[in-house]
Amino acid sequence: MSKFWIALIGLASWIAAEQALAGGDAAKGKEKAAVCGTCHGADGNAPIMPDYPKLAGQPHDYLEKALRDYKSGKRKNPLMAPMAQNLSKEDIKDLAAYFSSLSGDLRVKY
Amino acid sequence: MNIRILMLACASVALSILVAPLHAEGDAAAGQKKTDMCAGCHGIPGFRTAYPETYRVPKLGGQNGAYIVSALKAYKSGDRQNTTMRAIAASLTDQDMADLAAYYSAK
Repeated sequence: MSKFWIALIGLASWIAAEQALAGGDAAKGKEKAAVCGTCHGADGNAPIMPDYPKLAGQPHDYLEKALRDYKSGKRKNPLMAPMAQNLSKEDIKDLAAYFSSLSGDLRVKY
Repeated sequence: MNIRILMLACASVALSILVAPLHAEGDAAAGQKKTDMCAGCHGIPGFRTAYPETYRVPKLGGQNGAYIVSALKAYKSGDRQNTTMRAIAASLTDQDMADLAAYYSAK
């Protein structure tokens, strides 16, 4: 087999592995997001309090990290801790994929 | 009756004096001059942290200002743990935080 094909197969399996790791399903996330929407806004872009964050369009890996840290107690917040307690690893990935897929006000600002 | 109203007025003035410094008013123009430490990561689309976990840093543009202030305070106090953000937040005054929040939250 030529080096080209070996490289191509390697690349393809790397991409497949990346996607398996990314794993979140935005459609499933949407079904699980009702309780999030009551505070963060149904579209993830209209929190009910000024000190609650907008979520729409935030990178999925950042949202996963936030939920993981709330769940473990590394990030302390009396409102988010009990919410995150109830989430499985899959829930976290699905919710992160969903809110990341939405677009709102958030953008990279220099 | 008049004395009660007077007492109430005095009490509310005293209260507003006590509460006022807790809410530093943010100045977006001043905030724009304080972004040197933020922009190296948050100003680059898709920028990822390197240590100890790898993930893309959050977008700050358009975020709620009061949330940005509460996040910075949580980093400063240690309620949110991130080595880089803790060091940066520790160097910021309440006024700096309010100014940065005003700058980033502006649409």
